[in-house]
Amino acid sequence: MKRFAFIGLGMVVGFIAALGLLPSARGANDVSAYRQLDLFSDAFERVRANYVRPVDDSELINAAIEGMVSNLDPHSSYMDAKAFADMQIQTRGSFGGIGIEVTMENGLVKIISPIDNTPASKAGLKAGDYIAAINGTAVQGLDLNAAIEKMRGPEGSKITLTILRTTDKALAKKPFDVTLTRAVVAVDQVRWHREGDIGYIRMPGFNENTASGLEDAVRDLKRQPGPPIRGYVLDLRNNPGGLLDQAVQVSDDFLAAGEVVSTRGRHADDTQRYDAHGGDITDGKPLVVLINGGTASASEIVAGALQDHRRATILGMTSFGKGSVQTIIPLGEGGGALRLTTARYYTPSGHSIQAQGIIPDVSVAAGDEDDIPRIARPSEADLRGHLVNGDTTARRPAPNIIRPPTSGTKPADFQLAFALDVLHGKVAGIPAKSAKVN
Amino acid sequence: MTTGGAMRGLFLGVLGVVAGAGLAVAATHFAYGANHAGFGAERELARFGLAFAQVRDHYLSQPEDRKLVEGAINGMLTNLDAHSSYFDPDTFAAMETKAAGAYGGIGVVISVRDGATKVVSVVKAMPAARAGVRAGDELVAIDGIAMRGHALGDVSARMRGTAGTPVKVTIARASAKPFDLELTRDVIEVERLTWHREGDVGYIKIVAFSDRTEPDLRAAVASLRRQIGPALKGYVLDLRDNGGGVLQASIDVADDFLDAGEIVSVRGRSLRDIERYNAHPGDITDGKPLVVLINGGTASASEIVAGALQDHHRAKMLGSLSFGKGSVQSIVPLDNGAGGALHMTTARYYTPSGRSIQVTGVVPDIYVSGGPDAPQYQREAELPHHLDAEGPPVQAFGTPLEPAAGHSYLDFQLSMAVAFLHKTMAARSATPHHA
Repeated sequence: MKRFAFIGLGMVVGFIAALGLLPSARGANDVSAYRQLDLFSDAFERVRANYVRPVDDSELINAAIEGMVSNLDPHSSYMDAKAFADMQIQTRGSFGGIGIEVTMENGLVKIISPIDNTPASKAGLKAGDYIAAINGTAVQGLDLNAAIEKMRGPEGSKITLTILRTTDKALAKKPFDVTLTRAVVAVDQVRWHREGDIGYIRMPGFNENTASGLEDAVRDLKRQPGPPIRGYVLDLRNNPGGLLDQAVQVSDDFLAAGEVVSTRGRHADDTQRYDAHGGDITDGKPLVVLINGGTASASEIVAGALQDHRRATILGMTSFGKGSVQTIIPLGEGGGALRLTTARYYTPSGHSIQAQGIIPDVSVAAGDEDDIPRIARPSEADLRGHLVNGDTTARRPAPNIIRPPTSGTKPADFQLAFALDVLHGKVAGIPAKSAKVN
Repeated sequence: MTTGGAMRGLFLGVLGVVAGAGLAVAATHFAYGANHAGFGAERELARFGLAFAQVRDHYLSQPEDRKLVEGAINGMLTNLDAHSSYFDPDTFAAMETKAAGAYGGIGVVISVRDGATKVVSVVKAMPAARAGVRAGDELVAIDGIAMRGHALGDVSARMRGTAGTPVKVTIARASAKPFDLELTRDVIEVERLTWHREGDVGYIKIVAFSDRTEPDLRAAVASLRRQIGPALKGYVLDLRDNGGGVLQASIDVADDFLDAGEIVSVRGRSLRDIERYNAHPGDITDGKPLVVLINGGTASASEIVAGALQDHHRAKMLGSLSFGKGSVQSIVPLDNGAGGALHMTTARYYTPSGRSIQVTGVVPDIYVSGGPDAPQYQREAELPHHLDAEGPPVQAFGTPLEPAAGHSYLDFQLSMAVAFLHKTMAARSATPHHA
C-alpha cells in the first residue's frame, strides 16, 4: 500500500515535470490537462495491477501513445525505438549491410531481389534464394526484423550466410555458405539514363542524398556521349515523399528564383517560406514531371512549385493529395518518437493540395489504373480522418485523360513515351514548358 | 511589526516550505526512477506525459485533452488482447442507464474473420436494414472507432445502447470508398431464450446469457414438461453461436442441471484471487438425459456451461469444437464512471476438473458436422494478442459425422442429438430393473 502511494506521487510529478518543459504548457486550460493525465494514470495503474497477467510497462505506454496520436489523422503515428531506428536509416538514405530486399517464407528469409552493385549482387546471390543461417545460427525461429538486424552491421565487417537455392535442382538440397563483406548500401537512390537527347531522372523518395543525387544525375547526363540534351523528364511516380528540405532543394535546382513552398503551423508565427536561389542546374531546359496517384507529400511540393512557376509540364494522373507536414519528435533515449502532423504546406500560388492533389497539365493514363482496386490505392481523400482542405478556390478540372491505345503495339511505359513526344514537340497544342528567358 | 504582519509572514513561509519540500522530494524520486528498473512505471508514465504535452503543443490544431487521453486509454487496452477495450464516458453512461434486457441495437448479425467485422445478415425492418446495410458489408468503424482487430463481443457491445440513441457506422462495400451511416438504435428482441418440442424431446436455445436467461430456462422446462408429458425423453440445450454474456447467468443455468459440485472457478492474477462457484441441490429436469449443441460460435459464458456439464458427465457435447475463450472481463469504472470504464480481461476460468479451455475450446463428445453451409468460425487462437493456452493442445478428435449422401437435414446436428437421446433412453429401459 505504501509503495503504491509512493509510486502514485512520482507519477503525477513525472507528468508535471514533463509539462513544465514546454513553455506554452501553462495557463488555465492546464487544469483540464492535469485532470486528463490523472485519469490516464489511474487507467494505467489499474491495468498494471489487475490485468490477468503482468504486462510490460513500456509496452503499455507504447500502445497508449500510439492510440493517442493515431486518432489525430492518418499521418500521425508513434514509432517505437526499433521503428524510429529504421526511419533514421530511411532518411539517411544508407546503412551498412549486404544489399538485399527480403521477406519471410516457410520460416526462412527469402531474397526478393539483390540490389545492384552491392555485396549481395557481387557475391551472386539471387532472387528466390533462401537464407537458412546467418553466421552459422539458424534463421528458423527468428522474426524478419531480428534477421535483418543480424545482417546489418558496420561497413567492412564480414558475414557468412548459408544459402538454400531451391531454384537450382543440383543445389536444391545442398545448402552452401557465402561470406560477404558489408558495405554502405544506399536506399531510394536517384537513377538516371539518356533517352536519346532527353535526360530521364527517376526519383524514388526524398532522403538526405536526393538533391545531391539529382545534381550528380544532371551533371552526368550532360557529360554522357550523345547529342546535346534537349530536355529532361523527372519521374516522381509512386514517390511517397520524405524530407521537406530535400524537396525544397530539388525544386530550387530547377528554379532561378521565387518561392518554392510555405508551411503554416497552428500559430501564425509558425509560418515559414522557402525560396529558390542559385540558378537552374539544367540551364532552363524544357522539363516534364511525371506524377500519378502514388506521388505524395514531398513529391507534390516539387510538382506544385514547378507547376505554379510554369517551369515544367506536369504529366500523368492526379497525385495523392497529402498537403501536410510531419515533424519527428523523439521521446528520449530508447523512448521512440512521435511522427506528428504539425503544419500544412502551400504551393507558391498559395494553394493547398490537401485531399485534392496536383492536377496534371496533361492527363495521361498508364493503362493499368483499373487493374488495382481503388481500396488498394487510396488517395488522401479516401483516408479516414484526413484533414479537410479549407481552400475554397475553385479548382480547374483535370483535362481529358489520354489513354494508351488498346490495340497494336504500345510502349512499355506510355506516360514516359508521351512525355518524350511532348519534349520533342510531337504533340500538337502541348508545348513543353521551359524556364522563361529574361 | 504588528502581530498581523508576523502572522501573514509565517503563513506564507509555511506554504513556501511545504511546496518547496514537495518539489525537492519529487525531483529526487524522478531522477532515481530514471536509473532503477523498479521505477520503470514512473519513468514510462513520464514518457507518456511528455508525448501528451508535445501533441498538445505542436499538433496542427488544438486537440481536445479529453480525446487524446481517451485515444491513449483505448490504445493501451485494445493492445492487451482482443477482448479488452475502453468505454468512453458517453458510451459507459449509455450502458449504465439501459434497462435490463430492453437495450437497443441496430439489428445486424455479424462475424469477425481475419480481424474484419462482416455483416452476416440484417434483421428485417430494423435500423440497419432500413438504412440499406447489406449482408457482406464490412463494418469498418463504429462512432469513428476503427473495429479492425476488435473481438466480436466488443464490436457488438459498441453497437448496443439505449434505444433512440444515435450511432454512426462506417461501412465498406466491395471496392467502393467507405461511407458513414447515421442510425438510431431501436429495441431489438432477439436475445430471449426460445424453446419447442421435437417430438418427445424438449429443445431449448439460448442465444446469449443475460439476467433473464435462467428464469426463462425454468419457464421453458416447465412448459416442455407440460406439453410432452411422461413421454419426455430428454432435452437438447442449443448453445451454438452463443457468444456468451453475463457470467452469473451461465452459472445459474449450469446449476439448474446439476445437483452438487463445482461449476466453475475464476482465478485472477494473484494466487489468492480465486472464486469458486458451486451448484445447489436440485436439477430442474430431474436428471433427464441432456445433449448440449456446440460449435465454433459457442464462446465464453456458453463454454462455462458446456465445460461444467461435460466434466460432471451430466450432458453429452454434440457438434464441433467451441471457440476457446477462457477469460473473464471486468468493467472497471474510472473516476466513478465520469472517466468512462475499462473493459479488461482480469481472470481466467477453469472447469470443475481444473482445466482451462482457453484456445483449446470445449471438445465435443460426439463430433457432428454443421453441414456444408456451416460458416468457417474464427477462433480465439486467431485473435491478436490472445492469452496462451494452459492445457495440452487438443488431440485430433476424428472426422465429423456427415449427413449420408442423398439425405438432407434441416439441422443435422439437432437430428443427431434427438437420435442420440432416443438411443440413450432405449438403452436405459432395456437395462433390467430389479424390484
